[in-house]
Amino acid sequence: MTAVIEVQGLTKRYKDTLALDAVSFAIEKDTIYGFLGRNGAGKTTAMSILTAQNFATSGSVRVFGEDPYENARVLSRVCFVRESQKYPDDATAKHALAAARLFFPHWDQQLADQLIDEFQLPLRTRIKKLSRGQLSAVGVIIGLASRAEITFFDEPYLGLDAVARQIFYDRLLADYAEHPRTILLSSHLIDEVANLVERVLVIDHGRIIMDETTEDALQKATNLVGPADAVDAFTRGREVIHRESLGRVSSVTFLGTLTAAERSEVSAAGLELAPVSLQQLIVRSTQHAGTSEQGAPAADLKEVAS
Amino acid sequence: MIEEGKPLFVQIAERIEDSIVDGSLPERSQAPSTNELAAFYRINPATAAKGVAMLVDKSVLEKRRGIGMFVPEGARELLLRERRDAFADRYVSPLIDEARRIGLSPDDLAALVREHGARLTETGRTTS
Amino acid sequence: MSAVVSSPLGRNRILNVVRLQFINKVTYIWMPLLVLGASWVISILIFAMIPIDEPKFGGGAQAPLWALMAVGIQAMTLSFPFSQAMSLTRREFYLGTLAAASVTGVMLSTAFVLIGLLERATNGMGVNGYFAYLPAMWESGWLGAWFTYLVVTMFLFVIGFWAATIFKRWGTIAVTLVLSGIGLLLVGVVFLITRLEAWPATWTWLVETGPLGLAFWAVPFIALMALGSYLTLRRTVA
Repeated sequence: MTAVIEVQGLTKRYKDTLALDAVSFAIEKDTIYGFLGRNGAGKTTAMSILTAQNFATSGSVRVFGEDPYENARVLSRVCFVRESQKYPDDATAKHALAAARLFFPHWDQQLADQLIDEFQLPLRTRIKKLSRGQLSAVGVIIGLASRAEITFFDEPYLGLDAVARQIFYDRLLADYAEHPRTILLSSHLIDEVANLVERVLVIDHGRIIMDETTEDALQKATNLVGPADAVDAFTRGREVIHRESLGRVSSVTFLGTLTAAERSEVSAAGLELAPVSLQQLIVRSTQHAGTSEQGAPAADLKEVAS
Repeated sequence: MIEEGKPLFVQIAERIEDSIVDGSLPERSQAPSTNELAAFYRINPATAAKGVAMLVDKSVLEKRRGIGMFVPEGARELLLRERRDAFADRYVSPLIDEARRIGLSPDDLAALVREHGARLTETGRTTS
Repeated sequence: MSAVVSSPLGRNRILNVVRLQFINKVTYIWMPLLVLGASWVISILIFAMIPIDEPKFGGGAQAPLWALMAVGIQAMTLSFPFSQAMSLTRREFYLGTLAAASVTGVMLSTAFVLIGLLERATNGMGVNGYFAYLPAMWESGWLGAWFTYLVVTMFLFVIGFWAATIFKRWGTIAVTLVLSGIGLLLVGVVFLITRLEAWPATWTWLVETGPLGLAFWAVPFIALMALGSYLTLRRTVA
């Protein structure tokens, strides 16, 4: 597959923090990625640097094979929708969308009109006066209707209510099916986007701790529930990332999966095997890191065989 | 709607298989397109495509160039055979395990099955 | 289908930045004109109230200039972040915005000159009061007045833009330092002139050069600030 973005050893250092720590990854063409991680993990910083809106301290970034900095040829094919976007003074949604139409070569006005309708966006109200949800809708509409070959959505749907978010996901999928493009969705509403994304990129404390297909990610960990000693017998020697107890019953999440033989053993022992959702996996992995060492990233889940 | 556990594309494939088995997707009819499946289940089209590809590999679906995916003749038979073969592992073993856990022997189990089977024939339902 | 101007490169995109600034006609057209017009009307009313028969001159014409400085500041604080959202390069944003400001400058200067000509023809709108037709500016005719007003407009826009660029890149302290530095420089120059007892010579020079001459002198300063803004902008994060 062709990589449209290639990042090598990307580091971003602020005065006393390391926002990104020698990060390397590649983004493939026409794929929807989930760019996941906690707040402050480095997602927005990374996306800003990829779009040349922010600058790396060291490392290299190649978008469509070129350095995106001051590169209109590359940047015109990219769209970055962020959470709190500033708009020109007294601009209305109509102005903002008219502007987007000027600069995104594949802009689809019909799609924009359809979305304006679905989100019930008031076009002539000043953006300053729009509600949080309506403000988010403006960004989301720009991102979708831009049909930019690489589109970044940095949690722009935070202001949207559940209904509006579902509209966004549905429209995103429908449009992606008809007009495939590369999309990076950053979100901490992981389970909501889990079915939409083909690959997940998880970042924690400035490091990539997971970079694979959603399918593989979902197979990474297992959850065992039952009497504590029986559970412990099974989990001895495995890397446990979460443990909960209620009386004598404990629920343990560990990395790795069980073989068919092991699964029958589990069933015979009366223990329950539960799958681990993407959200649980990521939350528990990053929690795990939080308790072990301050500021250290989670166990490198790339090393776990799936 | 979507459960966790099996990979998503496998779940999608199984749902299509279910509809072939129960007759709602008859043989020689056209199966939903990848995009339709993606939109309906709210999943990534690539995942839907993977599920469809799996069924094509199993010969449960066939691709007719330029038109789309169709259910070939014999697909239902194929699935029924496959499910019958898997029936023991999938349903019978867990049943026996659970029965043992609560103190029922395989003979007790057989009696229960006969009793409930009779009830089904009478009332059309197994539960009261 | 695709956008109205779909060529992604070069001049077309910069032109589109100009169009971008004019999508909302208030900032670069109506507001400056309104300020000029309102200031003019207010000046006339004030002139009418002053019971002196000799020609009266007012400074109201400077009002839109300060408004343009505010526009220059907002170009960086609001327009720039939006231009980044539009995937524009900093260069495209810079050139397009400067071009848009020039259009406004030309528009204002032209309005200014028209008002001046009107005042000349009507002897100060019948109240012998002059808002635009200020003799020192019109020494070299309407073209001189037009050029002078244009230069001052651009000067103030670029100052606003330049200060805001420094603010966005390096923060409040930096702007304060720079402005204090300039203040110190000016004080230093005044001090020097005083010490050298060169005030009479200075005044003579100023009067001889006149507004038009000073406008010509200002051009390199504007160019310098404009260049400085660009270099600062190149590494500014929105």
